[in-house]
Amino acid sequence: MGDLLSGFADALTPENLLWAFIGVTIGTAVGVLPGIGPALTVALLLPVTFRLEPAAALIMFAGIYYGGMYGGSTTSILLNTPGESASVATALEGNKMARAGRGAAALATAALGSFVAGTIGTIALSVAAPVVADLAVNFGPPEYVALMAVAFVTVSALLGPSLLKGAASLVIGATIGLVGIDTQTGQARLAFGLPSLFDGIDVVIVVVALFALGETFAHLVAGTGDSRVTPLRGQPMLSREDFRRSWPAWLRGTALGFPIGSLPAGGADVPTFLSYSLEKRLSKHREQFGRGAIEGVAGPEAANNAAAAGVLVPLLTIGLPTSATAAVILTAFQSYGLQPGPQLFSESGDLVWALIASLYIGNVLLLVLNLPLARAWVRLLTIPAYGIYAGVLVFACLGAFAAGGTIADLLVLTVLGLIGLLMREAGVPVAPAVVGLILAPLAEQQLRRALALSEGDWSVLVSSPLTVVLWVVVALALIAPPVLARRRRRVSRTREETSSTH
Amino acid sequence: MRITWRPAAAGPFVAAGLATLLLVVSLAAGRDDEGFLNGRQLRLMAPAAPGGGWDQTAREMQAALRDEAGRTEVYNVAGAGGTIGLSQFVRFERDPTQLMVMGLVMVGAIESNDSPVALDRTTPLARLLTDYEVIVVPADSPVRSMDDLVTLMKDDVGKVSWAGGSAGGIEQILAGLVTDAIGANPADVNYVAHSGGGEALSTLLSGRATVGVSGVSELVGQIRAGTIRPIAVSSPQRLPTLPDVPTLKEQKVDVELANWRGVVAPSGIGAEEERELEDLLMRMTRTEAWQETLQRRGWLDASLAGPQFDRYLIDERRTVTDVLKKMGLA
Amino acid sequence: MRPAVTDIEEGRPPPETPEVAHAEARAAGALGVLMVVGAVVVLVDAARLRDSDEALGPAAAPTLVGVLLGVIGGALALQSRRFLRTPPAGRRSLWRLAALVAVLVAFALLLPVMGYVVSSAGLFVGAALLLGAPHPARVVAYGWTLAVVVFLIFDVLIGLSLPTGPWGF
Repeated sequence: MGDLLSGFADALTPENLLWAFIGVTIGTAVGVLPGIGPALTVALLLPVTFRLEPAAALIMFAGIYYGGMYGGSTTSILLNTPGESASVATALEGNKMARAGRGAAALATAALGSFVAGTIGTIALSVAAPVVADLAVNFGPPEYVALMAVAFVTVSALLGPSLLKGAASLVIGATIGLVGIDTQTGQARLAFGLPSLFDGIDVVIVVVALFALGETFAHLVAGTGDSRVTPLRGQPMLSREDFRRSWPAWLRGTALGFPIGSLPAGGADVPTFLSYSLEKRLSKHREQFGRGAIEGVAGPEAANNAAAAGVLVPLLTIGLPTSATAAVILTAFQSYGLQPGPQLFSESGDLVWALIASLYIGNVLLLVLNLPLARAWVRLLTIPAYGIYAGVLVFACLGAFAAGGTIADLLVLTVLGLIGLLMREAGVPVAPAVVGLILAPLAEQQLRRALALSEGDWSVLVSSPLTVVLWVVVALALIAPPVLARRRRRVSRTREETSSTH
Repeated sequence: MRITWRPAAAGPFVAAGLATLLLVVSLAAGRDDEGFLNGRQLRLMAPAAPGGGWDQTAREMQAALRDEAGRTEVYNVAGAGGTIGLSQFVRFERDPTQLMVMGLVMVGAIESNDSPVALDRTTPLARLLTDYEVIVVPADSPVRSMDDLVTLMKDDVGKVSWAGGSAGGIEQILAGLVTDAIGANPADVNYVAHSGGGEALSTLLSGRATVGVSGVSELVGQIRAGTIRPIAVSSPQRLPTLPDVPTLKEQKVDVELANWRGVVAPSGIGAEEERELEDLLMRMTRTEAWQETLQRRGWLDASLAGPQFDRYLIDERRTVTDVLKKMGLA
Repeated sequence: MRPAVTDIEEGRPPPETPEVAHAEARAAGALGVLMVVGAVVVLVDAARLRDSDEALGPAAAPTLVGVLLGVIGGALALQSRRFLRTPPAGRRSLWRLAALVAVLVAFALLLPVMGYVVSSAGLFVGAALLLGAPHPARVVAYGWTLAVVVFLIFDVLIGLSLPTGPWGF
């Protein structure tokens, strides 16, 4: 505790506060732009910040990191154009809310949820990091296989109203995920001899193509280029009812996000999908899902930010970067002569505690910055669609070019945008494609790694207590929904009968 | 006809004018004519994503070259062990202002990816630095030295699982060389590839793999903390960062492998231009800024230019191709 | 005849008009056919892979994905086959789509030659006009401003090297 307080003392100097503020502003700005995330920004700013004190630079990076997570929700909600995979789940309900004129409420619940989750996540990081890290290192390939199975059986809520069309989308995503060099054997799959495809298709490009380009093409084809959305007036940003429905979702999202984020191969996207599914299962307003249910924004957004804190656990305690941004922050650490790992806290404790303290501060700054901005952002929608989507195209192309640096990436972006349009026209949801793109390659790699380590013995998949627990969860997730649905039907029937006797 | 002044309609045009002015001013301010080769700016490609080893090398070079050659531009073309960047780089034929960072990893990736372009379509300039590999085991592993590991491998090569980076990369090459050196068949190596050193470390820490291989600078923290135990380094002499860890050669495994990085220029540049660029790079390696960088990053100076580097490159290519063929990867 | 859709839970809200349903089914049919073609490509590519001595080789996942792609795509195509024979409506919108794709491709090809600012301004103007923007002159001013600001922030300030034309931007 004393360490943390002295960390606050370090971070709260006027100069460092200024860097934190610059960081959160840059972070929010780049997070808002589709396709340009915090990883790229930190990497590019790294040489620029060399002249800064290490503490100031790390504090600014922490601001960019959390700011990017906040900013990512804005365009997802308002324009249905998430810039990275972790914002896809937010777009599902958030954009429906924005189209119904409730964009401010969606942005507010996202900002508050991010704050709550970010704060709880940071507390967990400062209190429990070593414990969580000890648990996380027990996750080997067999455990990941089981975790992927859990994810696959629970994402059905994301598939949308038609199971067939949802599955089509999932498989299309899995197919895109196959492209590139196979990690285990080094052979190129579905690359057709084109070097640009050897490294696979960047997730950012797929997300931007399916959502941002698909949305632009859809406006073009439908001829709705001059449409605009008028926000509902005279309403509080977040009504009492909205708040009542949001806060449990924030807490559940946090509970999913932090632990999965702190797994060495967890990442921030998987918990957002799980959170969306969970909220849909638990909600009393199920019929609103797909039409703008606020829980569907609150949960995934909280999960996203809690995972962002979780990602720092393996980074700081083991030196394992588990996301692109974490990898870049690791580089930043190393260029200041810090060696993340078990000894980081004892060797460079004051710097780490200043970093953690600045995460708290960044969180508060972000809330202060974003909550009032929610109303301002919503006014963005009063710009006609032709202006917005022409701008989105410019940023989407910038992001795609920045991700790979080749012209071929821009052509891939266009082709995938056309596929996205066809899916949209066919009533096939695009979010499951992102799920397939992320989960399928991960599942394949981990399964093959597990089998290689056991020399082909399949029993390795249930070789630890943890795997058994996860497989039980899989079984429950498969059995429980039909049973629950039947019971609910029976309950509602009895209720009808009792009410009719009155 | 009367022209009326409407501020609202003029706004966008005023903004466009201001932006253009700002652009012209910033470009004029950023230009310095003291650059290399008659004021032409050098462009340096890092054929990997921001944050990786090549990117770090390129950006450190950018800083160290500032005094020698003015502003250098660094850009990234990510992917596939650098072969995507290489396939773009060969298009800059005869342009001496274009440079690319490369290294042993690219030599391996060209072979294992069946890349349509190879390094013979570039002009090798210089080797700059190296990092070495370290072989580690989990802290509770019964393996204590290379001898233990060799005994295990001689018993059954397939029973020893190696966790390391991408297929055909330097870690797999090292696993193959070690297996070959002890007289076993490299094709039987049970190598489990990961997309990076961090992921491989997590598999190793979960206790499922027998040994792990990774760059020394990536594992120093873990080794010092005692969560993993180093059993050998791939350098010719013991390393200053890990003075207690014996080399492979000390433990009677005749293998030496350096993860070196260097710079190439496009093919077809003049002999004079080539010499000038090599001089520039060698001058850079002697700057204080560069020496300080090596220290900070834990890299070792390995500057080598001219015909010696050309010969070194040919040797490395032969070694790598040979072991990859034996492993069935090329 | 009701198509064999397995609707889960509350089911899909009925499409607003028959034309919309018709267009959607036709698109679904086209997607289904595309998926079947994709399945063939995936399976052929998988068969070409060198096998390894792993329990699950590099071809296992593509084969599974290819089969699923074919089965699901086939089901989608079958479901909407009765809509496929009728001629599609709305030629004009397809013409505009083709034009925007041409603008995007032109952007990709001209980027290294003309530099970031000019190409991006062109992309913005092309897209906005195709989307139905009035006042072309103002669109050009907006597009130019946006492109210049992006270039200043990302290239000059942050150091992401964007392609430049002969005029230096």
